[in-house]
Amino acid sequence: MESSIVEKIIREIEQYAPKNESEHVGRVTAVGDGVVAIDGLSKAVMSEIVIFEEGKGKPLSDTMEVRAELYGLILNLEEDGVRASILGDSARVSEGMTVKSTGRILSVPSGDELLGRVVNALGEPIDGKGPFKNVTFMQVERQASGVMDRKGVSVPLQTGIKAIDSMIPIGRGQRELIIGDRSTGKTTVAIDTIINQRNEPKEKRPICIYVAVGQKESKTARIVEQLREAGALEYTIVVDAPASAPAALQFLAPFSGAAIGEFFMDRGQDVLVIYDDLSKQAVAYRQLSLLLRRPPGREAYPGDIFYLHSRLLERAARLSDERGGGSLTALPIIETQEGDVSAYIPTNVISITDGQIFLDASLFNKGVLPAIDVGISVSRVGSSAQTKSMKSVAGGLKLELAQFRDLEAFMQFAQDLDKETADRIASGMRMVEVLKQKNGQPLPLESQVVILYAATHKFFADVPVSQVTAVEKQFVEYMDGQHAKTLAEIRTSAVVSDESKKELNRAMEEFKLAHADLFTPAK
Amino acid sequence: MENAYAQALWNIIKGGKEPTEAVHALHEQLKKSGRVSLAPRIARAFERIAARDHARNAVTLAVAEAGHGHHGQKEAAALGIDVADAIINIDPTLIGGWRLEARETLVDASYKKHLLAIYRATTNA
Repeated sequence: MESSIVEKIIREIEQYAPKNESEHVGRVTAVGDGVVAIDGLSKAVMSEIVIFEEGKGKPLSDTMEVRAELYGLILNLEEDGVRASILGDSARVSEGMTVKSTGRILSVPSGDELLGRVVNALGEPIDGKGPFKNVTFMQVERQASGVMDRKGVSVPLQTGIKAIDSMIPIGRGQRELIIGDRSTGKTTVAIDTIINQRNEPKEKRPICIYVAVGQKESKTARIVEQLREAGALEYTIVVDAPASAPAALQFLAPFSGAAIGEFFMDRGQDVLVIYDDLSKQAVAYRQLSLLLRRPPGREAYPGDIFYLHSRLLERAARLSDERGGGSLTALPIIETQEGDVSAYIPTNVISITDGQIFLDASLFNKGVLPAIDVGISVSRVGSSAQTKSMKSVAGGLKLELAQFRDLEAFMQFAQDLDKETADRIASGMRMVEVLKQKNGQPLPLESQVVILYAATHKFFADVPVSQVTAVEKQFVEYMDGQHAKTLAEIRTSAVVSDESKKELNRAMEEFKLAHADLFTPAK
Repeated sequence: MENAYAQALWNIIKGGKEPTEAVHALHEQLKKSGRVSLAPRIARAFERIAARDHARNAVTLAVAEAGHGHHGQKEAAALGIDVADAIINIDPTLIGGWRLEARETLVDASYKKHLLAIYRATTNA
């Protein structure tokens, strides 16, 4: 063992060819709040990575103790110097410190080795599982694919959430915003979507990237654990820029996530990236911009805040067959204050994305989970990607729910309502119950289709509202056990054939006969 | 305000105006605008700008031991760097070799740098 180390050192010494090359440098003239002013570096370019030289004047032994180099990112080019943000602990930077130019634009590692790992915004592993060995470096700031490199969204991305897959379908390559107040289940929708990808065949399963921006470390740790327990971590990469990380890293993390995803997309694979959340990224960018003395605009955000999000989300794409046919689906998350979707950042991101899933705090408080307000949620391109089987069962669902919401207010006058209105309210209440779903329990497509087929064929009409969820669960179990063939057919063919419809009708009748006690005819 | 006056004065002198003339013109200007009391502070600000500029443009050659300066100068000159007016500093932490710092240029030919490179290559491999 010892001799091998000695041999290794000898080999390194023999291979080492000292070069006394001239390096392009500058000097720190001011440092504060994670931002440094550097005198010199006149040849530096925007977004270039610089290295702070920490060893000057220190003995070799002290310099050797510094395990990782301290990097900076150039964000402002000025007349007599540059301004950069420190990508690490700013306490390590002092005035007069030499800063070396690298000529490198910020890049992050990507590759199969990253699957199942947790990395920071620079792509460095932070899960204690050791460094990466065989990775490809991807530029963090990359131009989005052009028109000729893209094709339309046509393949569905199943979230496993009935309300979304049926009424707000998402396609691979789409950008669908998840928006809502704090604690309304935004992250849950995103995590369930990741977990649901385990139901996809391995060759079609998207690589999932969860980017945590400005989140509590405890929350991210819980999510990683949840993914691990669900067996979803093996196809997931977590990029973590916690609330304690410098603003520069929080601003960079979504771009790093996109860059990591683009590696897989370029390889022809499908990728799902979740940005949780872009409001915190905007706040970090505002902080950075103010420290860089860029002029503040509305709500003190800098003038290019729209461009920050548009250039990030434009990187979501479905590539043409010539480019390998890969895709990158983006699910950005935005947190609203008191449900105000007309605030600056929410309206910006709504206008950039291809639709939004709005989570309503009042629905959440009523126990309607996921608390999706289908009235104002929309998917602009996803319907073309929806499977025929889902389309056939979910066609009138949105309208029915919208009518129910309108009539809901009259529920307190239930005694005086005409039969048609009363029936519609009763049906709507059951439909709301059917669409309820516990977190961490995404459903495969065929189960969703079966449930919605049953619901739209008045299967639950005789079930008390409070029992609908339980009956639904039993029915799915019954179908799994007794009619697995029908489920398999729906899954593989992605349509509900006449034969399957007959089978489903028969299964519903059989179940009703076997569980007559669960069905109490309405009075 | 004194910084702006000092910077303006610096730029004028750098532009080729006689220092005495420039200072006189500034004094007249201050008198006209009733800001003569700023003069001592402008002088101190000017001093700071001059010191910064000197430090910025100074060429420093650091060597590990006294007497090694000549050797460093020769090697730096071989790389095409003008070190005739270099300030020579002794930095024992370099262990050996030399290190030259100019306006935006750094050439580190110290043993410390090379040893560190070997250490990092060995421990990261």
